[in-house]
Amino acid sequence: MATAMQSRSGSMPYRGGSGYVARSSSSGLYDVLELILDKGLVIDVFVRVSLIGIEILTIDARIVIASVDTYLRFAEAVNRLDLMATETQGLPELMEGITEGGASSKTKGVLQGAKEALFGDEDESGEEQKEPARRRTRSSSGTTRRRRRTTGGNSSGSRSGGRS
Amino acid sequence: MASQTRNSAKYVYGVVRARGSSPGMVHGINHEPVALVKSEGLAALTSDVPDELLEAGRDELLTHTRVLEKALEGGTVLPMRFGVVMPHDQAVRDELLARYHSELEAQLDEMEGKVEINIKGIYDEDAILREVLAQDPEIAGLKQAIQGKPEDATYYERIRLGELIGEALSLKRGEDERAIVDRLLPSVVAVEVGEAVHERMAVNASFLVNRDRLEQFDKEVDSLGEHQAGRIRFKYAGPLPPHSFVELGIEA
Repeated sequence: MATAMQSRSGSMPYRGGSGYVARSSSSGLYDVLELILDKGLVIDVFVRVSLIGIEILTIDARIVIASVDTYLRFAEAVNRLDLMATETQGLPELMEGITEGGASSKTKGVLQGAKEALFGDEDESGEEQKEPARRRTRSSSGTTRRRRRTTGGNSSGSRSGGRS
Repeated sequence: MASQTRNSAKYVYGVVRARGSSPGMVHGINHEPVALVKSEGLAALTSDVPDELLEAGRDELLTHTRVLEKALEGGTVLPMRFGVVMPHDQAVRDELLARYHSELEAQLDEMEGKVEINIKGIYDEDAILREVLAQDPEIAGLKQAIQGKPEDATYYERIRLGELIGEALSLKRGEDERAIVDRLLPSVVAVEVGEAVHERMAVNASFLVNRDRLEQFDKEVDSLGEHQAGRIRFKYAGPLPPHSFVELGIEA
C-alpha cells in the first residue's frame, strides 16, 4: 500500500484538500444538535432544563419522514425533474422553490427548517441555503419559516434588481 | 463566587480525570467560570447556574459544546448530555462522581486517546430521484401516467407515486448506509449508526476513532466524498468528545 505519503508527525491533522466533504468542529452546533440532546452521560433526575422550541421540532422532523405530505412532495419533485431538464419557462407556480441562486432545485429537509426556526437566519454550516418545498405551520408563530430571496412569481428567473 | 446566593446550583458539562489543572479561561453558561469539582481522582466540569429550571436555547447549547471542546483539547472527557443541573458541589461528588466511580473510571480508560466523528450523508435530491426513476419501471410508469393531468384528478396516484419513491429511497438508504459504514469500519474502534433525521439523509453515523488513526479515517471520508460527488454530500463534525459512546448504567 502506498503509505509513503502519510505523515506520522501529527502536528497538523489531515483536513482533506478534496473539498468534497463539509467539515465543522463541535462549535458548528448545527450538526451536533442531536448528539448533545440525545447522547452522553445523564442522570435523569438531575435533568433540569427547558429547551426553547427544540424538542418538539426534532420529534416533528422524525415523524414527517413517512407522511402523505412527504409523498406528495416526492411526486412533485420527480415530476419537476423534466422541467429542470428541458428548462421549461413560464410556469411560475411550479418554479416555486427555486432559489435566486438558480443552480439548485434541492429542497430543504425538515430538520433544516427546524434548525432555521431555532437559529434564525444565521447559517452555521454555510450551506443548506435552500428553499423550503412547502411550508409547515408550527405551533408558535415565530417558528414558521419565511422565504428568502425567492424569485418573483411574476417573471420566473429574474433577479430582484433594486439593491441600493 | 460573588453571586453564590442566587447561583447556587451546578450545571455539569462532563467528567475528566482530576489530575489536570482546571480548564483555564473557558466560560460556562451565563459567562460563569467553569470549575472542577473533584472526588477520588475524578473531576466534574461545572459552572454555577440559578437554582431553578434552566431555560436553554442556542447560546447555552453552544456553550455546552465549547466547554467540552476545550476540555477535549486537554485530554479525555466524558461528555454529559445537555441539561444536567445538580443542586450543589456535594451532590456532584456524591450522586455522580462517587456513585458511578468505577464506571466513570472504566470509561475514561476506554476513551483515552479517542474522539467521536459524526458523519452525515445527504442525498442530492435530483440525482437520487433520477436514479430511482431509471431503476424502477413501476415508478417511471406511474409518473408517465400522471404527467400532464390536473393535480386534483391525480391526488391518490400522486400519493402512491410518492409512497413508491419513499420505499425505493429507504432501500437505497439501507444499501448506502451499509456501504459507507463498511468502508469506514476498518479505521475506527466503534460505530453508532443513528436514524436518518430527514428524508434526504443517506447516512447518519458516529464513529469512535483513535487519534492516531484519524488521518487514515479522514482520507477514507474524503475518498467517499469524492466517489459520491453529485449524489451524496458528506458533512463531517468533529473531533468531538465521545457523546455516542458513553453512558451511565442503571445499577449502582
